[in-house]
Amino acid sequence: MASKFGLAGGIPERRVRPIWDAIDSRQFKTALKLVTQLLAKFPNSPYVLALKGLTLERMGKTDEALSVCLSAKELLYTNDSVLIDDLTLSTLQIVFQRLDHLDLATSCYEYACGKFPNNELMTGLFNCYVREYSFVKQQQTAIKMYKHAGEERFLLWAVCSIQLQVFCGNGGEKLLFLAEGLLKKHVASHSLREPEALMVYISILEQQAKYGDALEILNGKLGSLLMIEVDKLRIQGRLLARSGDYAAAADVFQKILESCPDDWECFLHYLGCLLEDDSIWCNEAVYEPIHPRKFFNCKISHLTDELFDTRISNASAFMQKLQADTTDNSIRCPYLANMEIERQKLLNGKGNTDYLIEALLQYFYRFGHLACFTSDVEILVEALTPDKKTELLEKLKKCSDSLSSVPTKALGQSITLFKVQELMGNMFKLPENELEASSVQMVELYCKNLPLSKDLDAQESMHGEELLSMACNVLVQLFWRTKHVGYLVEAIMLLEFGLSIRRYVWQYKILLLHLYSHFGSVPLAYEQYKSLDVKNILMETVTHHILPQMLVSPLWMELHNLLKDYIKFMDDHFRESADLTFLAYCHKNYSKVIEFVQFKERLQLSSQYLVARVESPLLQLKQNADGIEEEEGVLESLKCGIHFLELSNEIGSKSLTFNEDLQSRPWWTPTSEKNHLLGSFEGISYFPRENLTKEMDANLRRVIEKKSLLPRMIYLSIQSASTSLKEHVEVHGSHHPKISLELKLLLERYTKMLGFSLTEAIGMVVGVANGEKSTVVFGPNLIDWLNFTVFLNAWSLNSQEQVQPDGDECWPRTWCILDSLLQKYILEVVKSIEPQICSPWSDLPLLVQLVTEPLAWHSLIIQACVRAAVPSGKKKKKSGPSEQSSSKLTHTIRDSIQLLSGLLGEIMKWLREWINRPENQNFEDILSPLQRKGQNEGPGQVYHLLEDFISNMDEIEIELSDRISLSLKSWSPADVARKMVTGKCKVLTEFLKICESKMKLFQALKQQISQL
Amino acid sequence: MTTIRRFCCNDLLRFASVNLDHLTETFNMSFYMTYLARWPDYFNVAEGSGNRIMATYLGLLGNGQWALDEGSRLRNRLVFYVMGKVEGQGESWHGHVTAVTVSSEYRRQQLAKKLMNLLEDISDNIDKAYFVDLFVRASNTPAIKMYEKLGYVIYRRVLCYYSGEEDGLDMRKALSQDVEKKSIIPLKRPVTPDELEYD
Repeated sequence: MASKFGLAGGIPERRVRPIWDAIDSRQFKTALKLVTQLLAKFPNSPYVLALKGLTLERMGKTDEALSVCLSAKELLYTNDSVLIDDLTLSTLQIVFQRLDHLDLATSCYEYACGKFPNNELMTGLFNCYVREYSFVKQQQTAIKMYKHAGEERFLLWAVCSIQLQVFCGNGGEKLLFLAEGLLKKHVASHSLREPEALMVYISILEQQAKYGDALEILNGKLGSLLMIEVDKLRIQGRLLARSGDYAAAADVFQKILESCPDDWECFLHYLGCLLEDDSIWCNEAVYEPIHPRKFFNCKISHLTDELFDTRISNASAFMQKLQADTTDNSIRCPYLANMEIERQKLLNGKGNTDYLIEALLQYFYRFGHLACFTSDVEILVEALTPDKKTELLEKLKKCSDSLSSVPTKALGQSITLFKVQELMGNMFKLPENELEASSVQMVELYCKNLPLSKDLDAQESMHGEELLSMACNVLVQLFWRTKHVGYLVEAIMLLEFGLSIRRYVWQYKILLLHLYSHFGSVPLAYEQYKSLDVKNILMETVTHHILPQMLVSPLWMELHNLLKDYIKFMDDHFRESADLTFLAYCHKNYSKVIEFVQFKERLQLSSQYLVARVESPLLQLKQNADGIEEEEGVLESLKCGIHFLELSNEIGSKSLTFNEDLQSRPWWTPTSEKNHLLGSFEGISYFPRENLTKEMDANLRRVIEKKSLLPRMIYLSIQSASTSLKEHVEVHGSHHPKISLELKLLLERYTKMLGFSLTEAIGMVVGVANGEKSTVVFGPNLIDWLNFTVFLNAWSLNSQEQVQPDGDECWPRTWCILDSLLQKYILEVVKSIEPQICSPWSDLPLLVQLVTEPLAWHSLIIQACVRAAVPSGKKKKKSGPSEQSSSKLTHTIRDSIQLLSGLLGEIMKWLREWINRPENQNFEDILSPLQRKGQNEGPGQVYHLLEDFISNMDEIEIELSDRISLSLKSWSPADVARKMVTGKCKVLTEFLKICESKMKLFQALKQQISQL
Repeated sequence: MTTIRRFCCNDLLRFASVNLDHLTETFNMSFYMTYLARWPDYFNVAEGSGNRIMATYLGLLGNGQWALDEGSRLRNRLVFYVMGKVEGQGESWHGHVTAVTVSSEYRRQQLAKKLMNLLEDISDNIDKAYFVDLFVRASNTPAIKMYEKLGYVIYRRVLCYYSGEEDGLDMRKALSQDVEKKSIIPLKRPVTPDELEYD
């Protein structure tokens, strides 16, 4: 970082280098020593001060760092003789940025540029605006630089800044016209040098729908900037199509296909142009490549019959030609294209299903061995009627008599046959015994073909691995149908078997993760998740597999880590994203500039991120609910919940993004909100899976909106309870109107989200408590309703308003209602949990929530009341009517504590029963449904097949590598069963700990209140 | 079916099924985005008919200073040495493959070969590089075998290259500029990461 004359920031470079070296090697103490020495010599050097600030910041002394940097800034502003250079400013910027004071860095640069408007400093200033996402100021700065230096890149910086105003800011589209003018003028005098600059120019025109102008430029001299011909053709084709010149566009795409015959997307464009389908070119499709279209929309062509026929037959002929011309056997596009053409004909009432079936059969012969066969033909099969689907299946089955002579290919074809049945939803129609038989067949096929993988490396995927996933899916379906948990255990055993052969198969791990979750062994599910090594951006796309289960589990430590890592990843990205955007500016990759800014926005609106942001403080509040002082500390650090209120206010107007990769989820739980296994059996088709996120959107938005009110409501409730008793004791009738008013407003909002007015909601709660309304009215929002009742009670403690219009004395009444509701639901859930260890215990998470949410929040109100009631010091008690009312409250609290401890006692008794159950008994309960030898139906058949295969391995002549045989022998169902029990018990133990801590709290409270 | 196009940020949200493979590293964001910001032509993605991501690869041309796959170091570099410098002119001008990975559903279709060939073409014909190189874990036999089939030779072993634990192999393939194939004459002794010309 030396300047020209061996000086850095006006200081000899040899003096500065050791400081940087020390900072780089994290020797901060040394760095501080060196910088202090240097500062003695150059006390007025802003650069040395900045270095000191940097060192201090790195040491974690943020306050000192800020104050040192502020003095450096002061020096820059006041001392005319000091040197202002980019090195000093950029060093200051680093520190200010790390201290979250971007504005200070910006004002330093603004000041410097005002004094010395050279391009180096202006670049620094531009960078400051990039970091602040101030697109208008970016544009203004870039224009100044462009005027000053006349360089193409500065002009493009300005143009990008304009585009950003249009796409990500509130700039109107008219601005694009301004950008176009700037570029036009520059091109006229200087032309363009960079391919990316040309791309920006074209995009500016395209965004204004000036396709003709864009084409003219592309076809002109500037077009030669694009070195790769195909890239140029693609743009040309797109522009022609968007301008409505479909015939010319089709020619261009045809040209591309001639050189890239396997380019499926290009084929879709080609066909789209022939059929004059404009949907493919709408803005969404062009600019939103995250959910790209698959094949064509089922749209009837508007062409005349004659025209349609000619175009289609042209396409057909061209595909025939491509097929004939290609020598590469792996090229699939022309064959698949043929079928797509056939499908288009069918959609327009001109096709012949038999042709399509025949083409599918041919495709099977050619590519049926490939793992991607099924996803290739997915949409084509969808176009067939149920009868025709059956016909296709029968014909495919016949093909299986003449499978390829190459064993790996034959295996691939057999797998495809199973997959096609799965695809058609055929499996849901088979009787149970046939389903069992097909799961056995799949596993047999897997075992039989193990020798094919004998020479593969342990890390390489083996032949036929998919078979076990498919067999697992069949077993899960049997479980869904029969509710026989044996199938669930069998599916788990099967996948664990697969993993013992090759432990890297992530598909098995994801299935296991969900099976363990459903079985109630969340710790094992979490273990599987950990073994997937999900990190960085995968946290955004893969965490949905585990997060929802963890949020309602008692595994707080693990949940804390999960949330912490994820939020850190996202926040780190938001912090560094602007630096990378600036890097793209510097390397003249302008399209990436726009992309980076849009991507950051996309992640900021990630629904999962917002959920995590809300759940993370809620977890903290749950964890600290047994100590009111700690809880108040947490609330203080959350600014008393104010931020979250803002989030709740804003969320309605934001369009959330859903970035989860749902493709990898098992069919029975296609989104984190859906679990078919919890309902009764029905045939479902799980191909194709689309638009799943739409449903999630509305739900999640409501959840976030609701949950982000909680911290504030908890805070206000504690406040309300803390003052209530004092008020009663001191000046009866004097209330805290502000707290009360705000809490009431929030209660109104909360009930509105539940679909009721406050009065109606109160009616509901009262109705359920006194048995007038059924306990099921709260439905899936039970926890929300109970939370509401908790806060309602807290509000009523300090409100002059009566909760019930006919109410006598409101607050003890609400208190009793709340207690009775908690009692009702907790006891109901404890009773409803099935008495077998291998049942999924799907109500357990609800019980955990009841204890860790409404009960916990209620306990905070009690703590606040007791704290306020217990006399501190020598305060004299007054007597009179207020004492009467406070003693009434004291009684209520005492009864409440008694009741709640009783409830906790019940839960703990239940938990201990299970935890202390003899291990062998649990273990047998799990394995026994599988060990019914000699039965030809019911669960256990796959399991026996595996057992027999392993025990006879040495006798049957099957050639396996030592590695595979050894790992086969290492599979121990007993270990798996033991693991399952331990996993389940861990959940119970963690939950017990939570209950014990609450019990301790209640005992302490009991003691305190007895002194009153 | 290989619609090959430039990788874009949104693809980061779509490559889970490719990256869950245990041999495929998921780097930090600044790593990917640095490649996108600097060498967008060398970061491509192939898409299948169902628009699943089939394969990704990223590589770079130049003097290999980004050959290390340790993102944290890159981030430091980004903050502190934004000025950078250029080295390795002349015959060390080369393309570098940083990562190649193919989704399990689309394996055994020679996709990796197609992607590698494309990168070699760009390095050879557009950027006029002398050779293409890549680093691979010494234990990753399947990958080594594949690269050998594609014409790469082991140029040298780099001791403890991967997090100081595992050796890496530096594999190279000469391009048409290197007429005498000087760039791929194997070194006789292993080197340490410190000795690498471009770190």
